Amino acid sequence: MDDGSTGNPHAVPPGSNQPGMIPNKPQTLQDEQSQQNKYSIPGILHFIQHEWARFEMERAHWEVERAELQARIAFLQGERKGQENLKRDLVRRIKMLEYALKQERAKYHKLKYGTELNQGEMRPPTPPSDEERETDSPLSQNSQVTWRQGRQLLRQYLQEIGYSDTILDVRSNRVRTLLGLTPNESTKQDGEAGEVLVNGEQEREARRDADRRPAEKKRAGIPEIDSEASVLATFDFLSSEAVDDEDEENLSDGEEDGGAADDESEDREQRRRREKGKKALVQMMENESLAGMEDVLADPETEEALAEFDFLVSEAGEGAGEAKSTDGAEWGLDKSPTTEEWAMDKNLLNKLKEEFKKERKSKKGAKRPNRSTLQAMLANLGGDDDIVMPAGGPPRTAINNPDLGPLDEPRKEGPRRAVLGVGGPEEESLEAALGLGDLAGLTVTNEAEPLQYDVAATKEAFRKTWNPKYTLRSHFDAVRALAFHPIEPVLITASEDHTLKMWNLQKTVPAKKSASLDVEPIYTFRAHSGPVTCLCVSSNGDQCYSGSTDSTIRCWNIPSPNIDPYDAFDPTVLGQALVGHTDAIWGVTIHSVKQQLLSCSADSTVRLWSLQNKSPLLNTYTAEKDDGAPTSVDFVRCELSQMVAAYSSSVAVLYDLETAQPVAKLDARQGSDSGVSSQINRVVAHPTLPITITAHEDRHIKFFDNNSGKMVNTMVAHLDAVTSLAVDPNGLYLLSGSHDCSIRLWNLDSKTCVQEITSHRKKFDESIFDVAFHPSKPYIASAGADALAKVFV
Amino acid sequence: MVSPKSKMAAATEDPAILRRNRPGTKAQDFYSWPYEPFEEMDSTLAVQQFIQQNIRQDHNNIDKILEPPEGQDEGVWKYEHLRQFCLELNGLAVKLQVNTECNPETCTQMTATEQWIFLCAAHKTPKECPAIDYTRHTLDGAASLLNSNKYFPSRVSIKESSVAKLGSVCRRIYRIFSHAYYHHRNIFDEFENETCLCKRFTVFVTKYNLMSKDNLIVPILEEGPGESEA
Repeated sequence: MDDGSTGNPHAVPPGSNQPGMIPNKPQTLQDEQSQQNKYSIPGILHFIQHEWARFEMERAHWEVERAELQARIAFLQGERKGQENLKRDLVRRIKMLEYALKQERAKYHKLKYGTELNQGEMRPPTPPSDEERETDSPLSQNSQVTWRQGRQLLRQYLQEIGYSDTILDVRSNRVRTLLGLTPNESTKQDGEAGEVLVNGEQEREARRDADRRPAEKKRAGIPEIDSEASVLATFDFLSSEAVDDEDEENLSDGEEDGGAADDESEDREQRRRREKGKKALVQMMENESLAGMEDVLADPETEEALAEFDFLVSEAGEGAGEAKSTDGAEWGLDKSPTTEEWAMDKNLLNKLKEEFKKERKSKKGAKRPNRSTLQAMLANLGGDDDIVMPAGGPPRTAINNPDLGPLDEPRKEGPRRAVLGVGGPEEESLEAALGLGDLAGLTVTNEAEPLQYDVAATKEAFRKTWNPKYTLRSHFDAVRALAFHPIEPVLITASEDHTLKMWNLQKTVPAKKSASLDVEPIYTFRAHSGPVTCLCVSSNGDQCYSGSTDSTIRCWNIPSPNIDPYDAFDPTVLGQALVGHTDAIWGVTIHSVKQQLLSCSADSTVRLWSLQNKSPLLNTYTAEKDDGAPTSVDFVRCELSQMVAAYSSSVAVLYDLETAQPVAKLDARQGSDSGVSSQINRVVAHPTLPITITAHEDRHIKFFDNNSGKMVNTMVAHLDAVTSLAVDPNGLYLLSGSHDCSIRLWNLDSKTCVQEITSHRKKFDESIFDVAFHPSKPYIASAGADALAKVFV
Repeated sequence: MVSPKSKMAAATEDPAILRRNRPGTKAQDFYSWPYEPFEEMDSTLAVQQFIQQNIRQDHNNIDKILEPPEGQDEGVWKYEHLRQFCLELNGLAVKLQVNTECNPETCTQMTATEQWIFLCAAHKTPKECPAIDYTRHTLDGAASLLNSNKYFPSRVSIKESSVAKLGSVCRRIYRIFSHAYYHHRNIFDEFENETCLCKRFTVFVTKYNLMSKDNLIVPILEEGPGESEA
């Protein structure tokens, strides 16, 4: 950078106005004078010698110091130049990528819609520095008022985080004594500040450069360069904040402090950086996306601090300028770069506030700040009030030990991370205005939205009313069974049209004139040669099992929820068939811990299958003659060794899985309406309590105590046969479906109906075949004879 | 007896009759209930019920199956039949798929006679899918279209513009028959024996003029149009 040598306050030619020289000359004069005055010669000589020796010593001291500083300056200048080049290179690369992406988008758009995408800013990358300069200029007219306001704000925040005036004073004094600077230093400041005003842009670039350097260093190892860079960008802001505070201090302390300011702030900056490095370490531990900050720690800290040095000096220079602003007209010039920065902040403030609020809700989404964040933060260089770190202790004393207490600050990171995660369309305009790059438009925080939804949804998981949201139409005949994926918003349906279909509820087709969304199936499972009657999904969501009237149970390896519905046929989806039953299968249920499957069939047997063994059939449970055919089966969830099977004779039997002997008979025959078959259509075991719930053809739902075998509750639940039951994962609500076309939600505690939804139409005398709760998300679903499945939220 | 609707339906017959496939029903008893006259069906799915009932009664009686009840809207009638064809074609697709009978190695393209290679229309740009993929994609695409809320929002009345879509569905799914016929004859014969589906389909598209006779290349009818080309 061209201004490198002059931009530094220490770059004054040796001897020109050296502090050591000034007192020295008068002293020699005095020496002669004192000889003329007839004092005691030896005394005078002694005094002179003493004085001279003292001055010489001081001078030597100053000389050494000066040499040191000059060496340092040279080093820093070299460093900065290197970084400048690096930055240019990076910016060029970003621009190129950006351009390439835009062209890709345009191409995609053209292919998709056949029209040219109207991207106003489609242009090949331009040199970044020009652009920055361009955009900075219009902001320079902003008044000093905004600047002052911003400064006030920052001061406030600094205080909040613990940098009180006293601390600042103490520290500045300490630094001053350490450096032993004289008031003369401030004259250098003048020159320096003048440089700053001329070279404001370059200074800022240099800062950014400094920020990017560590990012670049880590590039090889860490993919999340951007997040790191954005962290650094935040640091940048904080540093300027610190400097600003310094300014305020200078105002009160008077002119002589001006010189100290830069060195002091440098010193402090080093400390801050280290502190932040530590915080970043914390962040890193939580989230490796922010890795790379260890650089700041592991790498000699001096290097980092030095990288920051130039920038600090310039800022401090500005600060000094502010302190002196009453003195001379020359300082008026100084304000333009500073004002620019503050004016920018003002513009950003509100938008960022909004985003911050939004992001705070979904911290998860913010964990991985994306590319646009970098740009946003860069745009924010001057900082704004939202990025101030919340809650902080007084400055650390043990700053030199990076291992010390990095863990006690993780709370701070939350909101900050959230801020780092900002991104999205709102920024785009802003970004465009600032001209800092169109990167903000490149990526949209896709993650944030679904996550946000999740957060909101979980809260409302058991609100009072469920509303239809998705209608799943693609089956040609009655949907007999359905089951949710354990985690994803994915549903699998089994139909009398011999197929199963998988639906991703997040891939919706906007439906016209309808409140409910249409979903297209993403996969069709074909292999059964008869109506599919029952279905269950493993708890990891990798497999599902379906039973059919063709007497087979099919294992399916569930394809990815993001599969293309019109992909090539993948034979691996079709797993083995569990063959053994000799008639229609009517129920399957899985125990994921034991990796076992239970099935019941019209051949009057219930069978237990191992999902791992080569010979899968483990056991067969044959009912007594007058029990009828098993209609439904379930594992007893709170007693691993038992299962319950329901029979068409309205008896449910608890079996010991090992011995295949009945443990208890749950007889529902007493008190049922005569005439109408009171067969059990579905049996479910409560997920946590030793309670068995049965759904009957005679409209009843009955509750049994597994231990006593006694019926503990019975109720007429529907207007027609109850066909299906589902208990929510927490065991608080029961969902029932009936051929009366409705599904009902029951409070298991009070046994009262919480909600009724009319859901499906009749085909012959059948309407609803199955209902289900999503194991982890607030969805319920119903399967109907009208070939539809519906999902409610 | 139980719900108002079933009461009405059952009013003229034995009140105990509920046409249900209850859990535990044996496979052979599936859908084995007394015949319900079309006039007594009060469901919105009456046409489907009626068609399925006739097919179950005797799948060889094609004329009866294809004979619409009096006053039946022809669009709905064709639509419901096409749904049923697609449903039953699943059976053929399964047979082709089982034991990799029809796989991407042996049937790299969807062909019947040497005359045409059919391109799969399920993709944005039609492409030469292997026959088994073509079959699956075509059935999935047909399911998607026939269940589309946009074109077929109701199963009681259908817009004329949507009825026009049925022809192309017919043409596409017919290729599954023709591919099976010319490349997997044993499967085709086995399937045809069980269902008479191709024959029924040929009669259906001929009756309702949904496909040009030149395209009916499977010689299934004794004196059918396809015979000349076979």
